[in-house]
Amino acid sequence: MTGTGGGRRSRLELLVRGSEGTGFEVREILSTVAYLRNRPQRIPDAEWELATLHAGPRRAPTFVLKSRRRDRYLQLSEPERFLWEQMDGRTSLQELGTAYVLRYGAFDFEVIPRLIRRLQQAELLTMRPVSRLREVLARNRANAAARAAEAALRAIERLTVSSRAAHDTFSQVYRYGAFLLFSPAAIVVLAIVTVLGARAAVGLWADSAEISAELGKHPIVAILLVKLFFWLTVISHQIVHALALVHYGRRVREFGFTMLHGFIPTFYADVTDIFMGSRRARIVAAVSGPLVHLFLAAFYFWVASLLGPGLLKGFLAASAVLQLQSLFVALYPFCFLEMDGYHILVDLIGLPTLNHEAARFVRHELWGRVRRRQRLTRHEWLYVAYVGLSTLSVAAFVLANVWLIVHAGSS
Amino acid sequence: MASPADLAFLRQVSLFQDVPDADLADLFVHLKRHRLHRGQVLMREGDGGTEMFFIRVGEIVVSKNVKGRVDQVLARMGPGEFFGEMSLFDRLPRSATIQADSDGEIYGIDAESLDRFIEQSPRAAAVFFFRLVQVFIKRLRDSSDLVAEVTRWGLEATGLDVES
Repeated sequence: MTGTGGGRRSRLELLVRGSEGTGFEVREILSTVAYLRNRPQRIPDAEWELATLHAGPRRAPTFVLKSRRRDRYLQLSEPERFLWEQMDGRTSLQELGTAYVLRYGAFDFEVIPRLIRRLQQAELLTMRPVSRLREVLARNRANAAARAAEAALRAIERLTVSSRAAHDTFSQVYRYGAFLLFSPAAIVVLAIVTVLGARAAVGLWADSAEISAELGKHPIVAILLVKLFFWLTVISHQIVHALALVHYGRRVREFGFTMLHGFIPTFYADVTDIFMGSRRARIVAAVSGPLVHLFLAAFYFWVASLLGPGLLKGFLAASAVLQLQSLFVALYPFCFLEMDGYHILVDLIGLPTLNHEAARFVRHELWGRVRRRQRLTRHEWLYVAYVGLSTLSVAAFVLANVWLIVHAGSS
Repeated sequence: MASPADLAFLRQVSLFQDVPDADLADLFVHLKRHRLHRGQVLMREGDGGTEMFFIRVGEIVVSKNVKGRVDQVLARMGPGEFFGEMSLFDRLPRSATIQADSDGEIYGIDAESLDRFIEQSPRAAAVFFFRLVQVFIKRLRDSSDLVAEVTRWGLEATGLDVES
C-alpha cells in the first residue's frame, strides 16, 4: 500500500499466485481503478419514486427522487437522472462514464462520484433545523464554557416532541371538516375577513396613539401576552401546512415541537413529501401556512375595531401587527432564510437549491469571473440578484431595527 | 569461521549493530545458510517452524492470504532485514507466507542456537533484544498505517463519503 502527497490515490498490493502454485506476480491496484469497476445497484424499483419539476432558467427539467425505503428525497438534474437510470447493477462506473460522454459530449469527472455520494447518504430535505451554533460549540469542546453550553443545549433539545404517526391524525382532521380550508368557500371567507380587517385597520390607525397608550400602561405584561399568544398561533400555521399535504394526497412525515437552534421554541411539520406532488400542490402548501397569519391579522383588527378603548383592544391590535409581520417574513423570499416565500420563489424559477448555490457562487466564483471579465449565465445572474437583494434586505432590516431602538430610546 | 564479509553482513542486520565482533563470530557458526530462487515459497501461513531468518542477498515478499490464489502484500524485505521471529518466540504457526521475489541467500537461526547465544553472551543478547523491541515497535506502527491505508483504499474504491 503506497501513496504520495495530496490528491493521492491509495494502492493495494496483491500477490497473485500462478495456477501451479509456484510463480506469482504482484499487482498494484489503485483505488480509482477499483472504483471504476464498481457496478452500482439502485434499490428495487418498487422502493423509489421519481417526480419531474418544471423547466427552470436552465431550460432543463429537474427531478426529485424519493426513497420509499428510507423516506428520503434527492434532487436530480437531468444528467443525474440519466446516470440513476443506468445504475442497474450491471453497468460499471467506467461504462457509466462512457455512456455519459456519448450522451452529453462532455465529461465532468466529479458528476458520478458526487451523485453516488449523495445517493449513498440519501440525506435529503428535512424540516428539522440544524444549528450552526451546535457546530461551533462542537468545534470548541476544549473550552469549558463551550462544553457547558453544549450540555445545556442538549438538555433543552430533549424537550423535542415529535410524532411520526401524525399523518393519520391529520387525515382524520381533514376528513371531518378541515377539507373546507381548501375549498373556494375558504377563499371567499378569507377575502371577506381581509377586507373587513383592512377597513378596521384604517380606522384603528386614527386611534393608534390611544391604543398604544393603553398598552403602555402595562408594557411588560402586554409584550409577554402578545408574544405568547403569537407563539401559540404558530402551531396553526404548521397545522395548515400539514393539512395541505393531506389535501394533495401526500404524507405528513412528522409533526412536533422543538427548540429551534436550541433556544427558540417552535412547532414544525415535515412537509418534504409535497415535493413529490405537482407544482400547484407545492405552492398551495407553501402559501397556506402564511395565509393563516393574514386571516388572524385581519380578524384581530376587525374584532379590535368593534371594542371600546382598553387593554384588550390594544392587545388585539398589537397581535394583528405581529401577525402581519409574520406574514411578511414568511412570504418574503430574499433574506437567506428558507421560509415559505423562498420555497415558492425557487419553485417558480426552477432552482430548488438557490440559497446554497447562490451563496457558493458569490463566495467562490463571482469575483474570479469578474476579474477575468467573463460573462455570467442567466442563472448566475439569478444567484447574484438573490444574494444582492437578500443582503440589502437584511441590512435594511438591521438598520430599521437600530433606528427603531434609537428612536424609541430618545422618545 | 566467520569472514570479515560475514561479520559485515551480520552488522548490517539492525539487531546485531551493537553486538561485539567476537559474539557475532560465535553466533555466525550456528547460522544455517539457505539458497533462494525467485518464486520459491520459504514458508506458508499456518506452517510450523521455529527458525528466524536474516536476508543476505535478494528480496522476499511477506503476504497474507485473502482469497484463493490471492494474497495481500504486507511487506517487502531486502538485505539486512529479518523475518520469522514471531514463531521463534511464540512457537505458534507462521502468521504469513514468505516468498522469494529474486534469487538470493538467507541465514536461519533456530531456537536452540539462539538460547546458546543468550547464555554465552548475555550482554550481547540484551542489546539484541533491545533492538528487536525497536523493530517490533516499528512493525506495529507500519501495521497500523497499513490498516489505515486499507481503510482509505476501501473508502476510495467504494466512493463512500462518511464525512457528510
